[in-house]
Amino acid sequence: MTATRFLDPVMLARIANLELLARTVVDGFINGLHHSPYFGLSVDFAEHRPYMPGDDIRRVDWRVYGRTDRFYVKEFEADTNANFVVLLDTSGSMRYGSGPISKLDYAKFLAACLSYFSRRQRDRVGLVTLTDRIVDFVPASAKHLDIVLHTLDRAEADGPGSLEPPLLRVTEALRRRSILLLLSDLYEDPDVVLRSVARLRARGHDVIVFHVLDPAEIAFPFDEAAPFEDLETGERMPVVPETLRDEYREQMQRHLSALGEHMTHSQVDYRLFETSQPLDHALFAYLSRRERLSRVR
Amino acid sequence: MSFAFLAPLFLVGALAVAIPVYVHLTHRERKDAVPFPSLMFLRRVPYRTVRRQRLRHWLLFLLRALAVLLLVAAFARPFVDRAALGPAVVGDGRDVVILLDHSASMAYGDRWSRGVDAARTTIDGLRAIDRATLVAFGDRADAVTPATSDRPILRNALAAIRPLAVGTKYAPALQLAHDVLEVSESPNREVVLITDFQRVGWTADAPIRMPDGTAVTVVDLSDADASNVAVTGVQLDRAGEGGDRLVVTARVTAASADTAVRVGVTLEIEGEAVESRQITVPAGNAASTVFAPITVPDRTVRGRVRVDGDALPYDDAFGFTVEQRTAIPLLILHHPDARAGEWLYLRQALSIGSAPPFGIEFAPATAIGPVAFDGRAVVVLYDAPVPGGDVGRSLRAFVEAGGGVLAVLGPRSGNAAWPPDARVLLGDRAGPTVDRDAGRGGTLSILDYRHPLFEPFSGSRGADFSAARFFRYRRWTPPDSAVVLARFDDGVPALAEMVVGGGRVLLWTAGAANRWNDLPLQPVFLPFVHQLARYAASYRPRPAWREAGGMIDLARDLRVRSWGGAGTVFGDEPGELIVEAPSGTRFIVDDASGYRLALNEHGFYRIRSEPEGIATLVAVNTAPSESDLGIVEPDVVSAAIAAGEADGSRLARLTATLTPTEKERRQALWWYVMVAALLLLLAETLIAGRLSGRRYRRQTVETRDASAVR
Repeated sequence: MTATRFLDPVMLARIANLELLARTVVDGFINGLHHSPYFGLSVDFAEHRPYMPGDDIRRVDWRVYGRTDRFYVKEFEADTNANFVVLLDTSGSMRYGSGPISKLDYAKFLAACLSYFSRRQRDRVGLVTLTDRIVDFVPASAKHLDIVLHTLDRAEADGPGSLEPPLLRVTEALRRRSILLLLSDLYEDPDVVLRSVARLRARGHDVIVFHVLDPAEIAFPFDEAAPFEDLETGERMPVVPETLRDEYREQMQRHLSALGEHMTHSQVDYRLFETSQPLDHALFAYLSRRERLSRVR
Repeated sequence: MSFAFLAPLFLVGALAVAIPVYVHLTHRERKDAVPFPSLMFLRRVPYRTVRRQRLRHWLLFLLRALAVLLLVAAFARPFVDRAALGPAVVGDGRDVVILLDHSASMAYGDRWSRGVDAARTTIDGLRAIDRATLVAFGDRADAVTPATSDRPILRNALAAIRPLAVGTKYAPALQLAHDVLEVSESPNREVVLITDFQRVGWTADAPIRMPDGTAVTVVDLSDADASNVAVTGVQLDRAGEGGDRLVVTARVTAASADTAVRVGVTLEIEGEAVESRQITVPAGNAASTVFAPITVPDRTVRGRVRVDGDALPYDDAFGFTVEQRTAIPLLILHHPDARAGEWLYLRQALSIGSAPPFGIEFAPATAIGPVAFDGRAVVVLYDAPVPGGDVGRSLRAFVEAGGGVLAVLGPRSGNAAWPPDARVLLGDRAGPTVDRDAGRGGTLSILDYRHPLFEPFSGSRGADFSAARFFRYRRWTPPDSAVVLARFDDGVPALAEMVVGGGRVLLWTAGAANRWNDLPLQPVFLPFVHQLARYAASYRPRPAWREAGGMIDLARDLRVRSWGGAGTVFGDEPGELIVEAPSGTRFIVDDASGYRLALNEHGFYRIRSEPEGIATLVAVNTAPSESDLGIVEPDVVSAAIAAGEADGSRLARLTATLTPTEKERRQALWWYVMVAALLLLLAETLIAGRLSGRRYRRQTVETRDASAVR
């Protein structure tokens, strides 16, 4: 286990510049993938298809025409010019962090790394930060990586969170099919989350959901009776952890199971990340997931 | 008004209130909230709301802290330091004195049961804060219980009281009630007098008034048409030669009867009827009857005169004891040269004594041995040489053991010094003679009539000693221990007493024959000689009966001299005695010395000594005054003892003069504070348990509901 192999989020948090951080992660990650059996996922050539009236004649593969005397259009994956838009939840709950970094920090790292990664694939990158509304909107563009990173840098978690209203707006705003990466802690009813995501899927977007949680949110390791304050609403509630711990864990697991199950059924990439996990794990999981989906497709 | 504490140092213990504070602080929730992303899941599980939790904790905290403070305050012994509040803090209770008459007249009809019912009603009417003192009175008054609010104690004490054969006197009972109520700090005081209001017990001269503010309640148990026939006395006369016959005369009274009463009277000896007769007793008067003489038995027997029974059984029989008379044994020592005629008058005087008789024996003083005094009551040295040597020591020992010596100085007494042992008894010597033959001779001019020896001769009907003429006597010099009882007109002692050990010595300086004086020819001679002999023998007649209410000293009144005799009982060391009362009650007196037995029951007391195997009887009769059922009006008594208006200043003075310790003890606030603390702790336990149970049930229900929703 080396530092370049597993990038500790805590150490990365010391890097103030998100671009540098993303480069550190992605370049190291790619270098580490030289011998990976999954190399070449970023393919250029996709397939040949018969020419259809209306196709741009510049895309006709003349070599194939010379050999077969038929018109085939050569399609490249890169030619899809996919938009990669990060949907970052910046509601108050994302401010939570039982350790040195918060969920928002972790989500920023992921967003930065994947945006940088996508840009290296010449995708257009965009960013939407949202709470119960859209906070910042950076349209997808090949030139917007800096803006995306800058916007990520100054994003702060605050206010109540509700996915459905802002995602509905996103659905309406994004007219071009995009790869949408939703980074959120998903404190919503699973049905609401699925309804919002399904709406995006219905518009042809490729939706990836990264569920970011702090380890304390899953293990609930608290011992001392204390009032617990909701970071989004400010509501306080006295809690005796030892009497609630088992029940809480059961509720959380039921929530996670429901989300995973619903997402799978809706062909939405869903992945749970704990903020204690190294970032390259997240990248690795993401890319392997994309690879598997591409094979299926 | 201010609160004060008898032991304020205990207040330091108030710091203990920090314990519940600490407990609540250490168990309270953190005030700084724990930030948490979302309470979405926490809301779905059962929890205690902030409001409920705080309420419960505050309530329990207050209960615990207050309980600790009250405990500390209780140990500090609080009291109210204000005079006016002194009585108030002890509550609004009453102090009641129940005076229950248990004299003999209360046995008349159903008076006793009515009296007990009245007392019980009064006791049952007491509240928890009331106190009562139960006093049983007859001719004396005894507080059967101290002031108490414990009704079972009062009821048990009441059940143990029985009517006695004693007389009635209201003064001791009222004085006792006055004393009890006088020191009472209760603002409400009451005396309940339960009696038949016998007139004989009431003296209106100086009635005892109850303390101010005392309520007087009288319960009249008298009967309007009470009549009673009683044997109020008997007279026992000896008859026959030697007094071996006994003539019993009974006196019967009929009180409060309208007409003459015909009543049967029976003489019983040892329970057997000897003679019965009918007599007529005039209304409100008395009648006597004389029974035929009976032979006096050779042992002590019970005798009783009984009349037909009526509503008051106590005075229907009059008991007495009959015993053989015991002669006082006298040894008269004379000069060996004396002739019989010299003691003629003395012998004649002693031989005709019958109450008691005297057993006399003459012997020359020089012809006796040391054992000659055994079994004697009195040794008379009749103008005889004083013995010395062993006989002298024996005589001294005889006197020191309780015997008596009557020394008569005469012509043969001489003037030589007496032997050493005799000097202890009689002084140094007889002294020279004094001749008073000039003129009419000397007389006895100074006699101590207060002395028991001369007391029978005192009064206007007493004997006249001044008629006797004394022509010669001896100038005897009394020792320091001597008490001169009589002197001649020239101041020379005529009669002196010396107490030696347990006995006494009487010395007469003028001879007993009529050679030196004419006293034997005077009427006073006979009783004087008898009195000298009785006194020298320390003789005390044993009464044939005693009146109820009196006392006897078991060691003194039943003691007899070593000369013994029929009917005598115990020696100087009676030791353990067993007393059997007429009611059948038996008890043991471990040491009879100084033990005074109260004779409260009508009948015969039997007192016996197991080691000595001998017993005696004491006849006790109801006080004759109890047979008179005349009453004094209850209103008169009530008005006479009624108290003045309540004097508030008295209570204030009472409290003001109390020391803090007394105030605290009287108020006893610590007890209430302690009870309050314990109640608080009990409430805390109940509330804590109930809240805990409710929370458990709520959690169960909410968990079930949450599961159902999911």
